[in-house]
Amino acid sequence: MEKTVEKTLVIQRYNPEQDQRPSQQRYQVPFDNSTSVLDALLYIQQSLDPSLAFRWSCRMAICGSCSVMVNGIPKLGCKTFLREYSGDLLLEPLAHFATEKDLVSDMTLFLQHLQAVKPYLIRQEQSAATTPATKPQPHKQTPKQLAKYRKFSSCINCGLCYAACPQFGLNPEFLGPAALTLAQRYNLDNRDQGKAERMPQLNGKNGVWGCTFVGFCSDVCPKHLDPAAAVNQGKVASATDFVIGLFKP
Amino acid sequence: MSEQHSPRRPYLAPLTASWWLKHRYYRFYMLREATVLPLLFFCGCLIAGFYSLQQGEQSWLNWLSFMAQPWVMALNALTFAASLFHAKTFFELFPRVMPLLPAPLMIAGQWLGTIAVAALLLLLLGGVL
Ligand code: SF4
Ligand code: FES
Repeated sequence: MEKTVEKTLVIQRYNPEQDQRPSQQRYQVPFDNSTSVLDALLYIQQSLDPSLAFRWSCRMAICGSCSVMVNGIPKLGCKTFLREYSGDLLLEPLAHFATEKDLVSDMTLFLQHLQAVKPYLIRQEQSAATTPATKPQPHKQTPKQLAKYRKFSSCINCGLCYAACPQFGLNPEFLGPAALTLAQRYNLDNRDQGKAERMPQLNGKNGVWGCTFVGFCSDVCPKHLDPAAAVNQGKVASATDFVIGLFKP
Repeated sequence: MSEQHSPRRPYLAPLTASWWLKHRYYRFYMLREATVLPLLFFCGCLIAGFYSLQQGEQSWLNWLSFMAQPWVMALNALTFAASLFHAKTFFELFPRVMPLLPAPLMIAGQWLGTIAVAALLLLLLGGVL
């Protein structure tokens, strides 16, 4: 296809081996209606400047690796199109995370927070029950039970919500939207029995109570999970947990 | 892995105190939080009112004339508007946290509840005065 119209991309560059701090570099990129931010980055890397570093994989909003800030808003590069912007585009690495190089962020904290809430099905009787004599039984789930958590189960771990969350920016130990949403997703799953193991994390000062319902996370989530709602549902769960705890010996 | 020879040197941009000015979204959030400020003034007025009521007629009358001053009226009108605004944002957030009924229904229900309670209070207090 013939591409005649050009757009200016201003990209934040940072080379840890040379630079003290990031700087900005401008590139002219030809584009049409179907050119995504990721396409533009690939064009720059292939035709203008092979030294530009950024992450990507699936190109279809599934893998969650192409997250960048576009004009200050966290976006998936493959799901954001140049045609949506009238002026220049400013591309920066995700806010609130350390920058490794150019548009590549260090996501270690994010992954640690996801891990901290034990985001998998936990069964209490598992090891005892699955002796050779008693064959493991499938865990049944009705559509109604599925509907309870389904909305919160489509997270692609892109981290956009963390770049949108000022509370995470102020306190990197705050578990943050995606991790707390994931905790809620498993707590709401009738097959799961691990709620008691997750609640201490959620109740702690870096858990649900660190959220002040700014709500920007829900706005930027490319999968429309509404993490802000999940976190605040977690507050209800945490408060209930506390009250029940009062009456327990 | 020896850290010494690692070429890694992650750069973390400092978060400035003016972070909330950067976004329309953050500014809206700060506005919502700021509605508590005029409310504090109103609470102060209310406490002073109860106190003066206990002090006797003269101080009660003084309080009434204080409340009737234009700047106090203006500040309290602002408090009222700010509280309505806060209520609106709160009522819209609530159905997302407790999805019991369809959101529009819950929002309408909360406003109806507010109006009912306000009407009841007016009726009770209005009867006293
Ligand atoms: S909750 Fe949404 S924004 Fe956050 S990591 Fe998951 S998909 Fe991305
Ligand atoms: S490249 Fe996979 S989400 Fe964009």
